[in-house]
Amino acid sequence: MALTFPSAEWVEEFKRQINLSEAYKKAGATWTAGVVALIISAKPEIGLTEDVGIWLDLHQGVCRDAKIVAAEEAQKAPFCITGDYVRWKQVIKKELEPVKGMMQGKLKLKGDLPTIVRNVKGAQELVECTTRIDTKFFDE
Amino acid sequence: MPYDAQLNFVFWCPTKIVFGENTALDIGIEVEGLKCKKALIVTDKDLIKNTDIPEKIRKALGSLCVGIFSDVEPDSGIHIVNQGGKLGKELGADCLVSVGGGSAIDTAKGIAIVLKEGGELQDYAGFQVLTRPQTPHLVIPTTAGTGSEVTYVAVIKDHLEGRKLIFGDYNILPNVAILDPKMTEGLPPRLTGATGMDAICHAIEALHSSQKEPIADGMALHAIRLIREYLPRAVENGKDMTARGQMLIAANMAGAAFSNAQLGMVHALAHSVGAKFKVHHGLANSILLPPCLKYNADACGDVYLKVLAIFGVNIERIRPEEAGSAVAEKIIEFTKKLGLPQRLRDVGVPEEGLKECSELALSDGAIVYNPKFISDSAEVLKVYQQAW
Repeated sequence: MALTFPSAEWVEEFKRQINLSEAYKKAGATWTAGVVALIISAKPEIGLTEDVGIWLDLHQGVCRDAKIVAAEEAQKAPFCITGDYVRWKQVIKKELEPVKGMMQGKLKLKGDLPTIVRNVKGAQELVECTTRIDTKFFDE
Repeated sequence: MPYDAQLNFVFWCPTKIVFGENTALDIGIEVEGLKCKKALIVTDKDLIKNTDIPEKIRKALGSLCVGIFSDVEPDSGIHIVNQGGKLGKELGADCLVSVGGGSAIDTAKGIAIVLKEGGELQDYAGFQVLTRPQTPHLVIPTTAGTGSEVTYVAVIKDHLEGRKLIFGDYNILPNVAILDPKMTEGLPPRLTGATGMDAICHAIEALHSSQKEPIADGMALHAIRLIREYLPRAVENGKDMTARGQMLIAANMAGAAFSNAQLGMVHALAHSVGAKFKVHHGLANSILLPPCLKYNADACGDVYLKVLAIFGVNIERIRPEEAGSAVAEKIIEFTKKLGLPQRLRDVGVPEEGLKECSELALSDGAIVYNPKFISDSAEVLKVYQQAW
């Protein structure tokens, strides 16, 4: 059954996919920089009435926790990436590479870019994990 | 690789460009054009000490100038930006006029944030996090290389933490850039050569970047044509105003090109030796460009053929896979004529420091866009060793 993005079920499945991924385990093995939060900006016209935060507690190739949080909570993470719904949809569909998206202003990164760059392979594997989720989008 | 239907990109360069001898003296008109009345000049100690340029700009601004902040140093730090922001607030500055090279311009980009948003610069580290236009910023470059007057990035060092913070945001793109050849007239030959090589690296890296796109290509290719013709002239005779002017235009076009298409491994490696051993950025780029071209040769021969053609080589009998090595040789020939050092060992880099630089280079934003993906520091080390 397709899971709606974003939702608690989708995030739980994302965590499961991350922890199933041998590629991420390897690529993310050196990540010790803390939580990465994602914020999906509200888009009322498709039913997303408020900003949604996704909290990913990543550590050395493992996702220790993943949950939906309020945007204000997500902002407290050491790395917080914000984008419109359509941009996240493009990321999940592999139409937008996240670091390229940050450079072009399509996604906003709060945090230390060099740390992200050093772990760009891990970021790519996280995107790969999202593609394995049967995802239903609000606007489809 | 030719472009195909999958091509998509953003090209963003809203900076107004003013060019011509003595146009820097029109700075007041440009400040008023932005509806500003209180300009803070941001410049560096050397320029104040060794030239009359900041004073000329102050006089040209007249009553529009509320002060000069001249504490900028090479590798500007967040503490310097925060001091500048504090002074700007005290003086009620409503715009910034940066006068200098990359450090002065990047410092002013940082001050623009602090003045508008409050707090301290380190609160805004990241990419595209600002939500509104920042303090208006006018730039008068005194070198022809960085292109920082048309880029959306400021690199500012956190001296306490010993690392460079990157601030990338379309909202810090300067509003106006005044390219006045007179402002670069006094630049010594070696600095002219080194900063010019920085510009050609911007252009070549924009061309081979994995985020390359046609608008940036056009600007980069023309920048290379101008640099090939005018950089030797500017080094030979600093008073050649035609050469000085064309070099400012070349650096500007290369800056706009790489600000959109991004860079690659040359800059990642140059930033690292710069951070560890204080090698001048332009010199580091100049030395590292040839081995990096060879490293990337099998990935972008078609691009390097275009560069070769600009250097006057008949490319009909050169296969794309040979083009990287051929361009590398041309660059070496070019930099020898400019009298620039050829090896990292000549600019104070110890061989035992290369390994640490190799690790550091993998954290540099520029490396993400190298035409060949690199995640192994051993590969980077080999390139450094060739340059050493």
